[in-house]
Amino acid sequence: MAYTKPIPEPDPVHRVFWEGAKAGKLMLPRCTTCNRVHWYPRLLCPFCHSRELEWIEASGEGRIHTFAVQHRAFGGWADEVPFVTAYIDLKEGDRMFTVLRGVDPTKPERIRIGAKVRVEFEQASDEVSIPFWRVVEE
Amino acid sequence: MPGELSRAAAIIGAAEANEIGYPATPKTALQLHIEAIKNVSEQTGIPISRIDGVFSAGWSSQLAEHLGLHPKYIDTTSVGGCSFEMHVHHALAAIHAGIIEVALISHGENGWSARATGGRGTGRPRGAPDPWDPGQQFQQIYGVSGAPSNYAHAMTRHNHRFGSTPEDFAHIAVVTRQWAMLNPRAIMFSKETNPGGGPITVEDVQNSRVVAWPLTLLHCCLVTDYGGAVLVASPEVARSVKTKPVWIAGAGESMGHANMLEMEDFTATSAAASAAAAYRMAGMGPEDMEMAMIYDSFTITAGITAEMLGLAPRGEGFLLWKDGRAAPGGKFPINTNGGGLSFNHSGMYGMQLLVEAYRQLSRTAEDGVTGLPGKQVDARSCIVNGTGGSLSTTGTLILVAD
Repeated sequence: MAYTKPIPEPDPVHRVFWEGAKAGKLMLPRCTTCNRVHWYPRLLCPFCHSRELEWIEASGEGRIHTFAVQHRAFGGWADEVPFVTAYIDLKEGDRMFTVLRGVDPTKPERIRIGAKVRVEFEQASDEVSIPFWRVVEE
Repeated sequence: MPGELSRAAAIIGAAEANEIGYPATPKTALQLHIEAIKNVSEQTGIPISRIDGVFSAGWSSQLAEHLGLHPKYIDTTSVGGCSFEMHVHHALAAIHAGIIEVALISHGENGWSARATGGRGTGRPRGAPDPWDPGQQFQQIYGVSGAPSNYAHAMTRHNHRFGSTPEDFAHIAVVTRQWAMLNPRAIMFSKETNPGGGPITVEDVQNSRVVAWPLTLLHCCLVTDYGGAVLVASPEVARSVKTKPVWIAGAGESMGHANMLEMEDFTATSAAASAAAAYRMAGMGPEDMEMAMIYDSFTITAGITAEMLGLAPRGEGFLLWKDGRAAPGGKFPINTNGGGLSFNHSGMYGMQLLVEAYRQLSRTAEDGVTGLPGKQVDARSCIVNGTGGSLSTTGTLILVAD
């Protein structure tokens, strides 16, 4: 089925991330000076301002930091309401935004902050796959 | 000990456009600006030609040209709804430095009319957002659009961390509505002026349509038209005009993030930092404040901000409303115009905060048009806090009457 929702347009700064996603890997930027992982990708480390950055393949594990249930959306997402959006605390550090899978948007009281999640990728086009996170533990 | 800039300038007047809210025929942002500017000039007796600094959220060169001005100081800071509190901060510094004497801070925004004009007359670019922007690539692709979809995440986290509930925050909407019922210019003034107007209960708030759980419609601000303008002037000018000066005792600004992806603590904003700077400049503290004007884009915004300003302990900001202190007749009035929730919210609401704070401290809050008996509060100090973006940026002012 064709992907009807917004498809990101990879740019030079974020290219490695999207290449990884296409191959089913979660790539994260890490500073080799202070060893901290950051998200989203930067030109300088946001913590120590070093320019010595590398990409690492992450575990793809994280936990729910907070979430909301979207009852109103535009474009292709309008057909999917209600859906759950969440900020994910990455195992490697820092935080990512996503649409959560494996949850019931009509029962938000059952979704637990701190629940373990795992990344998965959905192919949106020939060139782009998009990360989503799925609850793997109640 | 107050800082050097404390009371180096005063707000000497504050006015609105002739028609705000839901105008019968669509208006442009420029019309709203110019009406308010003309009105504040007439209110203070300061001719427009005497303005030597122009401050607005992106409009300054258009405004100056439209008015035939050639200002000595031009500021277009546009970082969301707190921009206008920051403009006051910047104007204070520019006046103290002797660069200008009379600063115009203006806002015009046709949030309501833009729906009828297809976005024309807003002064904003109408093209698509830059697809290479990190927010577009890593956040917008997941279907979030507009403020409620973002701010809802903060409510969930506050509830988790402090054991608060959406019902606790619903009291903010209920109390703010009580203030709107004293302001005939408020959208939600009465059932006669708007089918959704008049008194509401916590149950009404919780039973209204879900926009982005846990935020229901009545946890969210309005979308309206607004024009507002204030004049900030040197002490010499302030003492020469017919209106009362409201002194800028303290000012501060800060930012936590631009994109919510970078919000470290979803239950805190940079208002803690901007308020600390403002209190320091004023040589005052939260205990010296007698009322507050707090940006209420959502109930959660107001609740969190009250905590950041030191007006309530962490996790308990909503109690100011829940126990009635913030209500009409209460000990600590908050958002006496009816707020962004029930009075008017054009998109960037910081100007509405300034206009109401000026009216309260200059004892002009009950003129029958913008306020009925019971709206004027007995306060000589007011803390004003604007919040912009997605709980991103903040500007705090401490204003005091003579």
